[in-house]
Amino acid sequence: MRDLVGAAALAAAAWIVPASAAELPIFDAHVHYSHDAVESLPPKAAAALLRQAGVKRALVSSSNDDGTQKLLAEAPDIVIPELRPYRTRADTAGWTRDPGIVAYVEERLAKYRYVAIGEFHLYGADADLPVPRRMVELARKHGLMLHAHSDADAVERLYAQWREARILWAHAGFERPEKVREMLARYPTLVADLAFRTDHASGGKPAPEWRALFIEFPDRFMVGTDTYVPERWHFVPEHARWSREWLADLPPDVAERIAWKNGEALFGAAWAGKR
Amino acid sequence: MRRAALVFALLAACPASAAEPVVFDPREVQAIQRHGPWPQPVLPDRSNRAWGNPAAIALGQKLFFDSRLSGDGTMACASCHVPARAWTDGRPRAHGREPLARNVPTVLDAGRGRWFGWDGGSDSAWSFSLRPILDARELASSPPRVAALLREDAAAACLHEAAFGAAASDEAAMVNAAKALGAFLATLASGRTAFDEFRDALAKRDAAGMARYPEAAKRGLRLFVGRGNCAVCHFGPDFTNGEFHDVGVPFFAAPGKVDGGRYDGVKRLMADPYNLLGRWNDDASGAAATKTRHLHSTQRDFGRFKTPSLRNVALTAPYMHNGSLATLADVVRHYSEIDTERIHSHGEQLLRPLGLTPGEIADLVAFLETLSAPDAMDVPALPPVVAGCRVAP
Repeated sequence: MRDLVGAAALAAAAWIVPASAAELPIFDAHVHYSHDAVESLPPKAAAALLRQAGVKRALVSSSNDDGTQKLLAEAPDIVIPELRPYRTRADTAGWTRDPGIVAYVEERLAKYRYVAIGEFHLYGADADLPVPRRMVELARKHGLMLHAHSDADAVERLYAQWREARILWAHAGFERPEKVREMLARYPTLVADLAFRTDHASGGKPAPEWRALFIEFPDRFMVGTDTYVPERWHFVPEHARWSREWLADLPPDVAERIAWKNGEALFGAAWAGKR
Repeated sequence: MRRAALVFALLAACPASAAEPVVFDPREVQAIQRHGPWPQPVLPDRSNRAWGNPAAIALGQKLFFDSRLSGDGTMACASCHVPARAWTDGRPRAHGREPLARNVPTVLDAGRGRWFGWDGGSDSAWSFSLRPILDARELASSPPRVAALLREDAAAACLHEAAFGAAASDEAAMVNAAKALGAFLATLASGRTAFDEFRDALAKRDAAGMARYPEAAKRGLRLFVGRGNCAVCHFGPDFTNGEFHDVGVPFFAAPGKVDGGRYDGVKRLMADPYNLLGRWNDDASGAAATKTRHLHSTQRDFGRFKTPSLRNVALTAPYMHNGSLATLADVVRHYSEIDTERIHSHGEQLLRPLGLTPGEIADLVAFLETLSAPDAMDVPALPPVVAGCRVAP
């Protein structure tokens, strides 16, 4: 996995033009651009905000998918699209039991290209319901990663369905670092974003237990803002600044991997193959 | 015992109709008791050496109503904190020298606060008083301006001298003025309400006292401490936990401009030279500053605002940090139909749509209306002479 990250990072180095020598590029692995964000922050302004923040690439999804497509059209150099299986954010609660979701996902997959399906919310035994199972089948068929906002149980069930799945574990499952370590060790294709977490860094320093984890698994973490409401878009620059602050306390090669190289290796390379 | 528990469970499970008198079960009684007794003591603010000093309180009261405190002499604290409006201004959003982003909070019971302002951007009542004095959008004043007022107004000069002695600089005089305002705010303690009377009657099993409390308010109170989960954040005698939450209210301050709430408040507080970590804190023990010393913001604070007290809430419309809800019924409906799409799935777990009926909404409003103190709009009487200083004309 580490070799893969390194090779892809070298291949992708062309797009890395830091705004300043000191500014670490950011791959934001958790951006939503849903209908209300499109209304309050049109694609041109959203792209400008990402550029201002030094976000060089972003894994973008939306409810519904139109927002992602609009932002991709505006900023193809930044946006890497993933398909969220939600027609509106209200699907967050009931999508696992709604067959209409399958039709929606199939329709979008037939029409557009993506690198992943997600971020979806899936917990425990719900992962084995027919709708999530069909979604996993579609991901396998189209060679897509899964971006799962899930507890460890659901992640394990997803792997049970598809042993070769590549899963981006949203928010690192909001799990304690010991549990994250256990999961990363057990599943070599599991990576995690750190969006909307507050426990891994404070005052410009990673927490000791997280620091150890980042150094142990330097190619398995990414940062992300999680723009779950439109207002949150305006936090993107602050999140990037905050991320650079605590990343600067890590060894430079680890910081670079978490800041952008891991995202670029996993998603940038995959997207390059699909464009 | 088991039969008694079953009866209580049945009582709790069966909502009382409008015609049936409400009988609270032991668990509800216990929950209701937690909202009292009232009044509660106002603890001394050790960061303010003039706290409780009669001369400082009198000076603070005079300054509160004195428009000369502002840069151009046109605006006082009381311009926005209007006593006749329960110390708010009745507008959705404050209007200083320009329209501002937030609703004016009441200063009633401010002396019992921990963090001050919707974003908790101040850590003491006196630094909370100082912020609008210096803010160019509000009183737009300055240390020389405030110091001049304390020198040139005979009563203010006398009270200042009595409370603080001679000020070493204009800035010191301005901080003294803020501490006088803080001492005054600590006296604005609201009185007992119909709810407090009922709560105490319930504790004493005083049937006549309990009967005086409206049945609709009792039904609303049952929802408040029960299914509504309101008391989780609006808890205790103050009806607030004093902390910060995202309750699904949009927080755009203007198109393209976001009010970051607590996230920005912590930043502002830590950068404030008048915070409790600074040299103006009078508490030599360091205890008062402990809360600030351990403060740090997290990204979850973005868009969070302070849980307001519900005491006198019926007198302080409109509501929420941005005044976006006009009436108490609107507020109850907001929670009843809360837009969970705006709440992060790992955010405020309690906030789920309650699906209240119109009758239940009316009952909750009826309860909230019993939290008003008859003296909420009273201005404390100033004695003619304080500490040898002639105060009232």
